[in-house]
Amino acid sequence: MESGTTSPLSVSIDFQTSHLFFPHIINWTIGLLFVLVLVFRVVPFLKKVKRGERALPFIGESMDGFRFVGTLVLLVAYFYLMSVVGDYFPYTGYGFLFTSIGFLFLMSLLYMHTRTKRKIIVAGINALLAPALAWVVFAKLFYITLP
Amino acid sequence: MKTSRLTFGLVGSAFMASLALAPIAAAADGPLRGNVRVVIGSTSTGGDTYQNASIVVDALSKKLDLNMKVDAVGFSSAYRALDRDPRGNTLMIFHDQSYLGHLYGVEGYKDPFTNYTVGPTIAINPGNAYLVPKDSPYQSLDDIIKAAGEGKTIRVAIQPGGVSEIGYTALKNAIRIEHPGAEDNLVAVNTGSQSDKNQLLFDDQADLINGSVQANEQYTRLPESDQKAMRFIWLTATSETLQQAPENGLGQTDRATLLEYAEPNVKVTMGGDKNFAFDKEFFFLYNKKMNPAIIKQIDDTLEEIYAEGAIQKVQKKSFFIPDFKPSSKAQSHLKEKADRYETIIESINK
Amino acid sequence: MMDVLSSLDITFFLLTALGALVGIIFGAIPGMTATMAVAVCLPLTYALGLEHGLALLLGLYVGGISGGMVPAVLLNIPGTPSSITTTFDGYPMAQRGEGERALRICIVASLVGGLISAVVLFWFAPMLAEFSIKFSYVEKFLIILLALSVIASMSSNMLVGLFSGAIGIWLSLIGTYSLSDGGNGKTRLMFDFMEPYLFEGFSLLPVLIGIFGISTVLIEAERGISGGLKGTNVEVSKEKRFSLSVFKGGITNLVRSSFIGTFVGMLPGVGGSAASVLAYTQEKNLSRDSSQMGKGAPQGLIASESSNNALTGGALIPLLSLGIPGDSTTAVLIGAFTLQGIQVGPLFIPENQDTWYVMMAALVFANFVMFFLMFYAIKHIAKVVLVPKYILFPIIVMMCVIGAYAINYGIMFDVWTLLIFGIIGYIIQKIGLEVAPLIIGFILGGSAEVYFVKSLESFGTYSIFFTKSPIAVVLWGLIAASIALSAFIGFKSRKRGMRNVS
Repeated sequence: MESGTTSPLSVSIDFQTSHLFFPHIINWTIGLLFVLVLVFRVVPFLKKVKRGERALPFIGESMDGFRFVGTLVLLVAYFYLMSVVGDYFPYTGYGFLFTSIGFLFLMSLLYMHTRTKRKIIVAGINALLAPALAWVVFAKLFYITLP
Repeated sequence: MKTSRLTFGLVGSAFMASLALAPIAAAADGPLRGNVRVVIGSTSTGGDTYQNASIVVDALSKKLDLNMKVDAVGFSSAYRALDRDPRGNTLMIFHDQSYLGHLYGVEGYKDPFTNYTVGPTIAINPGNAYLVPKDSPYQSLDDIIKAAGEGKTIRVAIQPGGVSEIGYTALKNAIRIEHPGAEDNLVAVNTGSQSDKNQLLFDDQADLINGSVQANEQYTRLPESDQKAMRFIWLTATSETLQQAPENGLGQTDRATLLEYAEPNVKVTMGGDKNFAFDKEFFFLYNKKMNPAIIKQIDDTLEEIYAEGAIQKVQKKSFFIPDFKPSSKAQSHLKEKADRYETIIESINK
Repeated sequence: MMDVLSSLDITFFLLTALGALVGIIFGAIPGMTATMAVAVCLPLTYALGLEHGLALLLGLYVGGISGGMVPAVLLNIPGTPSSITTTFDGYPMAQRGEGERALRICIVASLVGGLISAVVLFWFAPMLAEFSIKFSYVEKFLIILLALSVIASMSSNMLVGLFSGAIGIWLSLIGTYSLSDGGNGKTRLMFDFMEPYLFEGFSLLPVLIGIFGISTVLIEAERGISGGLKGTNVEVSKEKRFSLSVFKGGITNLVRSSFIGTFVGMLPGVGGSAASVLAYTQEKNLSRDSSQMGKGAPQGLIASESSNNALTGGALIPLLSLGIPGDSTTAVLIGAFTLQGIQVGPLFIPENQDTWYVMMAALVFANFVMFFLMFYAIKHIAKVVLVPKYILFPIIVMMCVIGAYAINYGIMFDVWTLLIFGIIGYIIQKIGLEVAPLIIGFILGGSAEVYFVKSLESFGTYSIFFTKSPIAVVLWGLIAASIALSAFIGFKSRKRGMRNVS
């Protein structure tokens, strides 16, 4: 097995540090590709931006800031509160159930363009029904642990 | 509008009904209340930890009239869940890996004896085995020890850092005692799953592999001409434990045959006249701050369950050996066991 | 044989059908997988006994794998990891209002894939098991490499695609070099404070639904959430109706993809999602005209869905003839046998003939049930796109949360992974990186590492990848062909693009 140790292709991996072997290769690959992307894609793109043909991502685009930020805030609050509430009722899935009802309703309101009474009632029903159904099926029927 | 009011009513009542379906935690009168989640140190729901845990948790949940559920979250997440919950709603079941991982210095394993409360033991899996190809020149473990002493390299496929490695470590230690300096001839081929270990044997990349009676018994019955054929050479369990296995053994290998591969027929010295053996035991781990009354409640309930005798049949059917020791006994037993293995592991690392 | 017939009672068929139905529902919910469906129903099998238990579980398995196509096509969220390639062509079709047609194509392809793999399983299981053990670390690495070569052919810009793929691989390496894969259990690519959460790295499923599901919600939110999901015309014009003629000229693709699926399913440790990726690559490379693939071509759907359903039979081959599960679902299935005190191993089939025939019956029957359930229900399922977004999106997010939380049996960090990768997905689409190569890199990265490093550890030289065996040489041929073809196709399309500009 060790006969070809002088060959340029031979390699010896120390088990204690083997967890770094492959990541090193990938790091170098990413670095190399990044330089290539920079030269062949980013620089030409920036030139176009300068000439006014293209817009920069994020900065140069119009966006619905209210809905976008609102979504992010709702998601963070939803995920965070889920485990907080769930902690008061260990392993019953109530944390999931209660926060989902609030989350679904608020997110529906956020995404509605015109808030008619009818739409709000539908959203409200949905916000109650969907999590309750999911909870009954998954937590009660299939005994899946929920927060 | 009419329809939506109707649905509203329907939804409302369905919702109320679903809440009413939820068990009322106060129904139980012991210190253990509400829903209980038992996390295990393995992520597999097909493995022995999950099976043993679900056998015992099923019985416990019936006896205590509580909702209990086994979740295969893996050791790192299991410890994290246990750390966060001193109320007793989170319990853990794991096996000797918990302290072996720590002794081998594997990242993420904390000393279970100081960081957690060790609870009762519940069962032993006597199946931990070492196998060679059927056409191997080595007929016994003695042959292997002798060959290593004579300078032959022997490659052993194991999963490093725990239960799979302990037998290898003991063997290395035995070679060190009988043929000082020759222990380096036993080399580990570090690998993962059982399929990878088998594959190394098929590819002739290993001379000896770690396996189990359950997973490898059928391979030992293949004809020698088959590339896949294997032969048991060592079962690490104590003969005392194996004695309690069903007389028919497993598959078509009966108990008497299995006993031939275990101590005292197979000798792996630990120095002096002490012989190495290893029983893979499953036990509870609790949060350090958990109410001691819960420890007692679980001990007592298990005591009752094991006294009734039904659980033993279920365990034996899956080739597990019933092994109930209440917490205090389990703690001293496991600590003593851990100390014994610590000396072997240290003597190798010197 | 009489025993077999007596186990095939009404209960048997009902359980298989029930399994298929529940499986489809699990598969269709983003984040719920076949594996989870089998895992939650496993305890039931204790009460049902072995034959009936297996009927239920195999139904769940087949249904769960198939159900993944529904959200993949309609919502661009792969319901299960193996339906990732279904999104490439399915979603563009759905956007053109051909969602129903796309789903019907998928269903037919699934049926064929499932049946072909069942036949292969029945006749050739022991022989193929013999063949599969010829694949050691080296050959398995090359299979992964071959699947990775799809990155080159499917990205719109090869350089960006490769860069995205490399980032995907990098992300998959975060966490420990797992002991259970034979690593040394040490963590890398992260800071100490992350260890409690990232010890096992990011899990595939939350990453997948985060990057496909949550990032879609974010992007839509940024655009202000316009009315319906798309053009809203589910009713389609006559020539766009589904007919079997789509499969004309696609038979080779269908059969080839089914065999690829079966074959990949059979290799333990290569992973189910590699099957559809590999089948997709091969169709892209070998078909006469692959220019439309990725833009809504039926051939992409056929390749993807026939191969992922063919996994079912394939993954059962090593389970039943070596005692080794071929994918994550069959790993759970092992529990059903051990619960009943039945060993699986090289002698399982000869020693348990009856069980074996019962399993085959369940597998074939489950495929037909899946077909009829889905083929006739699809009209209604496809209407999901008519639900207004302010109702649909919150529900999708909620289901993603359940799936992410439940996939590893209840880990809160997996829910946060959703958000993290939702944001990552949003950013990479903004700055022009490509999602598909990144996710394929992520899926295959872990096993690529293990097999690459283990090969070198045991042989100590890079040359082993070329000299190990004839199989390795054949695989290199395929890899070279795959790369050359994708370069050629890229060149051709660029030339066409230039001509269009001028």
